[in-house]
This record gives sequence, structure tokens and C-alpha cells, in this order.
Amino acid sequence: MTTARPGTFLLVDDSPLTHQMYRLVFSRGALGGSTLLHAMNGREGYGLLAAHPEITLVLLDLNMPEMNGLEFLERRAAEGLHPEVPVVLVTTESTPEDEERGRAAGATEYLRKPFVPADLERLVARLQRDRPAA
Amino acid sequence: MDRDHAFAELIHEYIAECLPLAEGVTEALLEIERQWRDGHRDAGELGALKGRLHTLKGNSAMMGLRPMQAVAHALEDLCARLVADPVARSDEAAALLIEGGGLLSDLIRAARESDDGTAAEVYVARVRAAVDAHPASPEPALRLERRRTERRTPSDAGGTIRVDFRQLDTLLEIFGEAMIEQSGLPDVHRRLRAILGQCDELAEFDRVIGSVSATMKRLEGALMQTRLLPISTVFGRYARMVRDVARDQRKPVRMVTEGGDTLLDKTILDRLGEPLVHLLTNAVVHGLELEADRRRLGKLAEGTLTLRASTVADRAVVIVADDGRGLDTARIHTKALALGMDVRSDAADDLHQLIFVPGFSTADQVTELAGRGVGLDAAAAAIHALGGSIEVRSVAGEGTAFVLSLPLTLAIVRSLIVEVDNERFAVPLSHVAETSRVRTAAMHEVGGRGVLMWRGSAVSVADGGTLLGTTARPGPRDYCVVLFAGARQRGLLVDRLIGHQDVVVKGLDPALGRPHLVSGTTILGDGRVACILDAAGVVAREAA
Repeated sequence: MTTARPGTFLLVDDSPLTHQMYRLVFSRGALGGSTLLHAMNGREGYGLLAAHPEITLVLLDLNMPEMNGLEFLERRAAEGLHPEVPVVLVTTESTPEDEERGRAAGATEYLRKPFVPADLERLVARLQRDRPAA
Repeated sequence: MDRDHAFAELIHEYIAECLPLAEGVTEALLEIERQWRDGHRDAGELGALKGRLHTLKGNSAMMGLRPMQAVAHALEDLCARLVADPVARSDEAAALLIEGGGLLSDLIRAARESDDGTAAEVYVARVRAAVDAHPASPEPALRLERRRTERRTPSDAGGTIRVDFRQLDTLLEIFGEAMIEQSGLPDVHRRLRAILGQCDELAEFDRVIGSVSATMKRLEGALMQTRLLPISTVFGRYARMVRDVARDQRKPVRMVTEGGDTLLDKTILDRLGEPLVHLLTNAVVHGLELEADRRRLGKLAEGTLTLRASTVADRAVVIVADDGRGLDTARIHTKALALGMDVRSDAADDLHQLIFVPGFSTADQVTELAGRGVGLDAAAAAIHALGGSIEVRSVAGEGTAFVLSLPLTLAIVRSLIVEVDNERFAVPLSHVAETSRVRTAAMHEVGGRGVLMWRGSAVSVADGGTLLGTTARPGPRDYCVVLFAGARQRGLLVDRLIGHQDVVVKGLDPALGRPHLVSGTTILGDGRVACILDAAGVVAREAA
């Protein structure tokens, strides 16, 4: 199994607590030393994605003010903004239909809460392997 | 909380984010219940709560806090059911929602401790039963909604660390010691000058003393900032309690809270809880009339209870007001005479303050008829112990308001140091109206008590020595300190005025019990221990 490598991660979530959790995960172990970009809603996140083509991966919350996760994905698809950057939708609960909607809008992967740091590391490692250029 | 959990170290952030969210949910639920009671049984804000509950559930799950996760989930289901099914919108359903909101807040507040999950399990089972009793079309589990809650700005996401409050207490204690040591410097300077006379080095020393003192002031301000919390952190609890009492009493009550962003020292907030619960409960039980009586009087059937906080200069003012029947002045007067009290004023405002006198409100149920229940003296004592004052204002038929004035911090008190029979006392400056040299001409004796003419009105005066127990017999004193609390004054006769000083409050040794009219102790610059006067207590005693 490949291990995850540090990279540049865009974290889009309206919960400060979730950002703190990401901070913990990305400051230790295999992912330690990563660069983190924090956004509190989809609109901010979209701006950061546009400005940072070097982003390895986007972790995207679904329910957010200003612009939610699906709107983020739909706008990215419509504008063709860095389509090569994988986006992981982070959800608390989702039905297969919901996941289908997310994937149709361009989500690469789903990460279901609750997750532990190892889950996130495994997911990052898999996406990095699928896309070695990142 | 499981300490080995991957995110255990974020427990403080979890509480900081989720407690206001949960209390906001309860507040919204209380409003929904009110609307339903008024006959507007629409879904209202129920749908909008889903987003907040979803965040609460997700965050709790991430922290491994299963009871909170389960309760948030149950609430989410119940809300969804009530949105979908108008028939299910019963009073019982509203009560179940509010109970869940309260349980969620309680669990989150105590998240640092371990919880066996029983309360959550029992609650979840009851919700299940309620939801199953009203089958409706299933809702999609994932729902995208725009939240209407205000979110914190991105800059809040970082830069916060978790500190045990006891560490802040330790910091303050060390700061207090530094302050005591520093306050001895001017005396050293004075003594050196007596020996050396005026010289450049001493002038330099004086300058350094000045700048150290300025820096200490800034340090104090910064230190105090770390201890402040918005009063809204406790307001949520009261809304729920008031609702429960109101239901018990079968009185429709609307609770209004204002000024939730007023900042107070955490220690004060913690100790304010009990007296506020007392005042609010009394307001519902004794202050507000029954619904039928209110209608007959042409009042709104629903009573209004207001909890308002604000900052005025260096004090926080908290007002607990109801629009009920008001105090029964005549009953209070009769009762005071029956208790053998020395009632020297017929003014309603003066008579009303008697309800705080120890023993007055506990003696029998007469006070209940007078519009207030028992134990107000205990509430007043608790407020005085915080260095605060309490006053009541009441208009018959219109309502009653309790006005609490509190220091913003308990730790450091700006004081006037006075001497009585060679003992020193710190008098909080927040209660000092004026000091004056005693001119026998201005002093009168009325009915065996000293009275001082002060700004055109007569102020009762007490001998500091007999009041504070330094002597059995009043002697001639040179100075009078006019103390005030609310609109009332009292003069205190002392031997000397030593000067102003910021004193660091030390608690009272529990072995001493709680001496009368003393709220704490402090150490002065010369190492002497001085008692801090309970100034509001001294003023209040005048009523007795």
C-alpha cells in the first residue's frame, strides 16, 4: 500500500472545528508538512481553487452558506476550472442517490463522517496513486 | 469524552462551536412552541433547524461523542417528521423537541466528562416511538439547505488554543503577587528620599516606578480579557428553565433576552447562575398573574419576562423584569411592622427594598401575597458576595424589575483604603460616592442614629468601628465615607483615609465562615492583610 504524501489541500467547510481537525490530520504522520488552504464556504473555496492550480486535493463540505458543495461542483464543471484536481465530498450521511448526484456534478470521492485520521490518509494515498502527477 | 480519541484535544473547540449552536436550536424550538400554542401550527423554522442539527450530529460523530450524535440525529428525524406531517404538530411533540434541545446542550456542556449515554438512549427511544406513531413519507436523508444562522468569519478558524481555566487563575494569582510587591515601591522611594534627599538617581527610580505601574495596568487589562465570556453562554439555560416553570404554573410566558454579548468574568457568570434562577422562578411563580386574571385586567394573556444585560462604565447591569402584578407595598409595610422593624420611610421605593432583609422573605407566606416568594435575602447575599448590588423597582399592577449591578471582574477591585481603630479596610470605589472630613455641624442625631446632611438629603451614618467589630463603643471619627448602592446611600465613619489602591481579591478562609459585611481579603503593599468591605451589604443593612 502506498503511503500518502504531503501536498497542498483546499479545505472547504463552514465549521471552525472541522478546520481544526484537518489541521491536526495534516500536521502529523505521513501528511505532516502539507500546505493548507482554508475556506469557510463554497464561494471562498472556489476563489482559492481558481488562484491555486497546484492544489492536490479539495475536501468539500456539502451544507454551507453562500455556496454549497453541489453548487461549487456544478459551477466548476460549467466553467471547467482545474478539472484534474480531485474533489472529495465530505458528508455525515448520504444515500446512494445523493452520491450519484454528487458524482454527476463532478465529485471524485466521498468521505463519510465520522472518519479518523487514518481514513483520510488512505483516501489521499489512493487519489495520489491514481493521479501521480499531483 | 474518550481521551484516546483522535480528536480528543479539540474538545474545547467542540464545546465552543456546538454549545451556542445547540442553545440556538432550543431557542428556536421555544419560539416554535409559542407559535403553535398561539394556534399557528405551521412548520415555521423547523426545516431551517435541520442544517444546524446536521452540523451538531456530524461534529459529535467526529469527536466520537455518541450520545450527542444520537440526540442530534433523533431531533433531526423528529423535525423532519413534523415538517412533513402537520397532524403530528402537537404540544407533546413540541415539548419533546425542547427537551431534546435541552438534553443536547447539557450533554455538550459536560462533554469533557464521561457520560454513560443512558439519558440519550432513553430520549432517542421516546423519539423513535413518537416518530413511528406518525408514519409519513420518508424524507431524503441528505438535504441541501442554506443556513440562516450567522457563521463565524474565516479568521476564527485558527488562532484559538485551549487553556484550562485554572491556569488563568494561577496567572492571575501570580499577577496579584507582583502587584502587591509593586505597590510597596512608592514607600521604598519615600524612605530613600528621606535619607538621600532629592537626587537624579531617585528621580530616575520614580520614573521607573511610574512606567512599571503603567505596564502592570496594561497587563491587568489583557489578563482580564482572557477571563471574559458573553453572558449569552448562560442565557440559554434560563430560557428553558423559565419555560418549564411556566408550564408547571400553567402561565403563558414569553421570555425576552437582550444584551447577550455583554462580557463578564467567568467566575462571576458561574456564581450568578443561582441568584438569577431564583429571581426568574420567583417572577413566574409570584410576579406574573394567572392568565384569566391578566385578561380581566386588560393585560396581554401572555406574561413577559425580560432578562437584559448591559455594561455601564465598569459595571455590568443585569435586569430581571416581569410585567406582572408588582409588589404589594401595604403588605410589606404591615409585615415589617409586625416583625418589629424600624420602618422610617413610607416611600414605596424604600419599603420595597425590605424584601431583601434577612428573614423578611422567609418568615411566612405573606410575601407570596406581596408578590414575591421566599429566599430573596439569599439571592441578595449571593449578589453582595460578588461585590454587586441588587435593587427592586416595582409599580403596582405594572410589574417588578430587579436591577443587579455587578463588577466585570472579581479579581481586582479598585479600592479606597481606610483605617478604623488601627485596622485597614478596602472599600470598593464602585460604591464610594464621596469622602469628607466630619464636621460636627453637619452631623445630627435623629432617633439615636447619626444622620449626615449630604447634598441636601439626610444620609444615615454608622460608626465604622461598631459596624465592623473593631470596637464595642463608637469613638469620635474624623472622616466619613458616603457609600451608595443603587439609589441608596449610607455614611461610614472612619479614622483615616489612606488612599486609592487596586487590590487583588483573596477569598475568605472557609474556616472563618462568612463574616458580616466583608466580601473578601487582600494583602496591602506593606504586607498587611485587609478585609474588603461588602459595601452594598453595608448600605442594605441600613434598611434593617
